Amino acid sequence: MTPDPDDLRGRLRRAGELLREFYEGRHRGALARSRRDEDDLFMLLVLSETMGIPNPASYYTLELLPLLYDRFHEWHLRMGMEHSPLEGFRCC
Amino acid sequence: MTPSSSFPGFLREPGGPRILFIGGKGGVGKTTTASALALELARSGRRCLLVSTDPAHSLGDVFGIRLGPRPKRLREGLLAMELDPDEEVGRYLDQVRENMQGLVRPAMYHEIERQLELSRQAPGAVEAATMDRISRLMAQATGPTSRGREWDVLVFDTAPTGHTLRLLALPEIMAAWTEGLLRRRDRSDAWGRALERLSGGRAGERAGEGDELSYIDEVGSELPSDDDRSHRIREVLLERRRSFTRARRLLLDPAMTAFIWVLIPEKLPILESEKAVHTLAEHRVPVVGMVVNRVLPAGELGAFLEARRAQEEAYLARIGESFAQIPRVHVPLLARDVEGVETLERIGRILMGDETTAPPPT
Repeated sequence: MTPDPDDLRGRLRRAGELLREFYEGRHRGALARSRRDEDDLFMLLVLSETMGIPNPASYYTLELLPLLYDRFHEWHLRMGMEHSPLEGFRCC
Repeated sequence: MTPSSSFPGFLREPGGPRILFIGGKGGVGKTTTASALALELARSGRRCLLVSTDPAHSLGDVFGIRLGPRPKRLREGLLAMELDPDEEVGRYLDQVRENMQGLVRPAMYHEIERQLELSRQAPGAVEAATMDRISRLMAQATGPTSRGREWDVLVFDTAPTGHTLRLLALPEIMAAWTEGLLRRRDRSDAWGRALERLSGGRAGERAGEGDELSYIDEVGSELPSDDDRSHRIREVLLERRRSFTRARRLLLDPAMTAFIWVLIPEKLPILESEKAVHTLAEHRVPVVGMVVNRVLPAGELGAFLEARRAQEEAYLARIGESFAQIPRVHVPLLARDVEGVETLERIGRILMGDETTAPPPT
């Protein structure tokens, strides 16, 4: 019995998609993580004064705070801390 | 420009520098010099805005009137004001508060509010606010007069040395800092773009999987998306960098800005001035001239003051050596305190070399 050529093509396409998903997915995860790390670092730089690291520009970074509040909240949850670890900086 | 002959006369010329900083150790006569100079410039047709940046203001006292953070007309062609850093900080915080709307869940307002109030007391806030105001005034000085500006020259009566040097260094430090932050944004954005290129477009959604995006969906769609947020952060930083770079460019432009150093022929002011002028040179801030204040007048002074004069001559010689490259003018010690416009005008004439420094008639 010869296999149905359309069926075969369909299966091959599906297999291709799965393979692509498999390889790209790994890269996608890596890229997303890199970006997230970069954003975390940025946020911590802006908040450095709050963590006791002198920041010459802390006055000017105030205007960035509203943009970073949500990210900070998400960060401490992701780091396994239920509440903000910074004494002077609470978000929840 | 030939030194000595051109300072400080060239300040009166219509094409002369539009921003003057008067600096020096506390108590050497910065405010007097700044006021006398501003009066003289106003008289010769260059309208001045005289600004005191010292948190302990004495500008109003010299003129015997009350000054505030808004320019007040002292006479034809002369406005004066005393900066109020607390008010500046307040205005800045208000602005941050205003920008917060639409960026943050209302539940967080209270927390941010608390944070902002804490920052009011933070070290450096007053300094940063002062610098902010100074750089905005400087930007105004270079803009067209048509925009309601009633002056041509800005004269800054600065705070004592340390404060001033720090103020001058700030734009450089801040520019470096914003630069660093922008680089971090660039890297973040580069990762973001790489993500997007992977399986075109879909990646954008995946990037935030399980974190920001799902979270934003919860709080409502009126809050900005991650990309929007990133964009706004970049905008804020770019705007900051623009204003720092502009302040720094103006500060270092000899055609636009002139720094005038005041000292008295005594040991400590000389030592401090040597250090300060050195630091200014390191920051490439142009010192166009020095005012040597309270030099004992010529003529018979009596044994006590003659003894002082002998010492003073040694100090003047040291000033001549240390600052050989910088044009100087001498202003004599006067019989009475400087008070009121008349004495200031006289000092202005002495500064400009229009009046000889002969001993006052007895």
